[in-house]
Amino acid sequence: MGLRFNNKMNNSKLFKGLFLAIVVLPVASGLVYAFLFSLGIIGVLNKGFHWDVWQTVLFDKPFWVSFGYSLYVALLSVAISLSVALTIALSWQKKLQKGLLSNVIYLPLCFPATVMAFFSFQLLAKSGLLSRIGYQLGFIKEINDFPVLIKDAYGMGIIFTSVLLITPFFIILFSNLYQSEKIASYVNLAKTLGASNRQILQKVMVPILLKRASITIYLFVIFVMGSYEVPLLLGRQNPQMISVAVLQKIQRFNLYDMPQGYAMSMLYVLLIMLILLIIYIKNSNLFKTQNS
Amino acid sequence: MKKIFLVVLLIFIAACKQDKKPATSDFEAMSWEEIEQAGKGKSVTMMMWSGDPKINAYMKNFIVPKVKKEHNIDLQIVSGQGAAIVQLLMTEKLANKSASDVDLVWINGETFYQIRQIDGLYGPWTDLIPNSKYINFSNPFIGIDFQQPTEGFELPWGNVQMTLIYDRQKVQNPPKTRAELLEFVKKHPGTFTFDNQFTGLTFLKALLIDIAGGNNALSGDFDEKKYNQYSAELWKYIKQIKPYLWNKGEVFPENVAQMHQLFASGELWFTMSNNDAEVDNKIAEGLFPETARAYVPDFGTIQNSHYLGITKLSGKKAAAMLVANTMVSFEAQLEKMNPEIWGDGTVLSLDKLTNFQKNAFENIPQRKFAPKRSEIQDKALMELAPEYMIRLADDFRKEIINK
Amino acid sequence: MRKKVLQYLFMLSIGFPLAFLLLLSLGRRWSFPSVFPQELSFVNWELLHQSDDRLFQTFFLSMAISLVVSLMVTSLAFVVSKEIAYSKYRNTFLFLAYIPYLLSPVILAVIFQYFFIISNLTGTFLGVVIAQFLIAFPFGVLIYVNFWNKQIKELENLSYTLGGNRWQTFRKVLLPLSKNAIVLCFFQVFLISWFEYGLTNLIGVGKIKTLTVSVFNFINEANIFYAALASCLLVIPPMMLLYINKRFIFIKR
Repeated sequence: MGLRFNNKMNNSKLFKGLFLAIVVLPVASGLVYAFLFSLGIIGVLNKGFHWDVWQTVLFDKPFWVSFGYSLYVALLSVAISLSVALTIALSWQKKLQKGLLSNVIYLPLCFPATVMAFFSFQLLAKSGLLSRIGYQLGFIKEINDFPVLIKDAYGMGIIFTSVLLITPFFIILFSNLYQSEKIASYVNLAKTLGASNRQILQKVMVPILLKRASITIYLFVIFVMGSYEVPLLLGRQNPQMISVAVLQKIQRFNLYDMPQGYAMSMLYVLLIMLILLIIYIKNSNLFKTQNS
Repeated sequence: MKKIFLVVLLIFIAACKQDKKPATSDFEAMSWEEIEQAGKGKSVTMMMWSGDPKINAYMKNFIVPKVKKEHNIDLQIVSGQGAAIVQLLMTEKLANKSASDVDLVWINGETFYQIRQIDGLYGPWTDLIPNSKYINFSNPFIGIDFQQPTEGFELPWGNVQMTLIYDRQKVQNPPKTRAELLEFVKKHPGTFTFDNQFTGLTFLKALLIDIAGGNNALSGDFDEKKYNQYSAELWKYIKQIKPYLWNKGEVFPENVAQMHQLFASGELWFTMSNNDAEVDNKIAEGLFPETARAYVPDFGTIQNSHYLGITKLSGKKAAAMLVANTMVSFEAQLEKMNPEIWGDGTVLSLDKLTNFQKNAFENIPQRKFAPKRSEIQDKALMELAPEYMIRLADDFRKEIINK
Repeated sequence: MRKKVLQYLFMLSIGFPLAFLLLLSLGRRWSFPSVFPQELSFVNWELLHQSDDRLFQTFFLSMAISLVVSLMVTSLAFVVSKEIAYSKYRNTFLFLAYIPYLLSPVILAVIFQYFFIISNLTGTFLGVVIAQFLIAFPFGVLIYVNFWNKQIKELENLSYTLGGNRWQTFRKVLLPLSKNAIVLCFFQVFLISWFEYGLTNLIGVGKIKTLTVSVFNFINEANIFYAALASCLLVIPPMMLLYINKRFIFIKR
């Protein structure tokens, strides 16, 4: 018994170490590389150590505009996705477990971001499918009557596409959680205690699902914030989402802009980590999904 | 836990300690036969843009078998262009890589400038290959790249001129001057724009040259004073037309591909291309309407060449030279110029070829929808020094996009 | 009744993007205001074949890479996530697991490139597998973590108490309970790997030609019909895999 216990401890350490080596080490090394590059310490065209790049990034507007815009797009996309996914997962609970729908719901996961962005463009552009159908049905008289849905000021095209990309995942997740958390039994319990349907929804089902999925929800906010392909095709040049802005600095015409791109990515990572940390400290319940 | 870090660290250290053997040998002292001996039977990796099935098919069906047959070289084409090439070579240099993953690269002006900045190209080598004597180096549109002498560091491969493309069904008299363009967009708002990348900047450069007084007004090295003076006028003009551009000029197509799509679907009445034969290709592909036509406005458009470079860290320079030599051979250039294959202009000087070869070039099937090269040649503008483009890109953001 | 109609509408809307892309891939000339392309034919499909006839080869290479990556992640993340889920520092670990997703893979690729070059992994199969593994692994952990809960731990302990050994406990208790999670993880990681372009192209230097690397360029190029065709080529194989996968699981049920 003692031996097995020992063995288990070692395994546990090994796995945790492995996790750190895979997850933290590469990105940390990459960030160190980016940091040194942004300070002019390494790089083929570096001119020696200086803080200029950081000054530009920190005190000029563009970085902060991109940051805020990315946050806005991500929060709105995830909020819309969650409401849609919860509605579907809860009202079509049984269908999602068995039958055609339970198979079909996986299909949208097969669309990568670029393909989805291409699809949205062909669907929503002024000359896209919707506009053509609208014209044939007589809703619009000419191409310019159709509203601007892509490359628009509010990022509607980006948000629409992000919602398409992540909603199916949430539906599957919620429907799985519904089973594994045995929500049906809680619902029955609540019913016998005389709770109304509305109360059950608001006080039982939604809170449990959201809480259990919180880790994934945070992950998807982060995903959308950092997305590149979708805003590149469907976004504006101003404001730009953060990845587009960074890549523009790293891979465009002026090689001397590269350190700025690295500084921006570094600063972005630090900021998000800080925000996560604050959320975590202020409200550690949000992170905790396990009542130990 | 510590053990794992140690192992990872060791792997890294071991990896860093790879031996660095200099890959250079003195090709200048070698005869072509010796270079052929040194290069044959090797495998060569060429990095190029691969977004056009026609160009891919030409490389795969013509060049790859040809170098295999002539020199037993396995030519591998990998995808990457411009910034990606620079990024790769720069990082390889930083990492002290012994032999580059890429031997041959397809580049032009701005990438050439960037790779020269980081000293990533091998050279001079173009004089070493036998077919270079047929290349029209004395033509400034071929021998000079963005006002930079190629100095033997890149080999001309093809030559193109920018054209504006319009739909004849919608536009009877396309605007030929800046004033006409302003008038046109006021009359037909939302039908014209330019993209946020290379092609759009090339268009802006043509306008800048026009403002500065035409061809040669801005030739030579970058001139800060001239730039400030004329670019101010350029932005004034762009701000004038901006409200009448596509989406009121609040946003621009991200790249030329998107602009082509908007043109094909009828949302835009104009698009533009850095390749004068593109309108033929895109009609044949079924993208553009058959009423699409290309033209060059009176203020002219930029003509430039694209080139082949050998990476400084390449371990197979001799073999790369053999491939490059084949790519500028008469047969390869003739095939490439055929509009049904690719339609890319040749860099060979017809005067230096035999009568038979000259005839063959003159009898290539004509383009159907693009103007003849001879008709637009006198409106060809020389590329400007690379700094103009870098500054225009920066200022376009500041003056137009962010306002 | 209304619910049923809604469900069918929903399913139709899921199939719609694929149908639309398939239609476009057969099209030529599609100008406003026609709803359908003016010409429909298989010409585009033939041309793609002309410009790259090794599609089959690239298909199998892609399969190999994606299967290796997803098998590695699915199994390793399973055991690692369990340790983490029951660990005292669970939240710290989870916090760390987010880090690789802060930056888009395109940017990660750029900052990883240096390290892959100095370790001589660029342009190799192994390099691509490692690179994809790095970005897929934390995802696997995050997916699994949701499923390790008190009940499962109690059941596991019960199995040990009743004299089950580790393998039996895994086969008879953990596996059936976490099957959905395993399928979701495998499938998601497979997709991450299958669609990975930026990192694969940069670390593989284009020499490791996965299907995504060889047709991805067309999606961002001018010709929407080729783009639609390339999209179909990318999307259909995982859909078929899904079909097989789901069938397999249902039969086993």
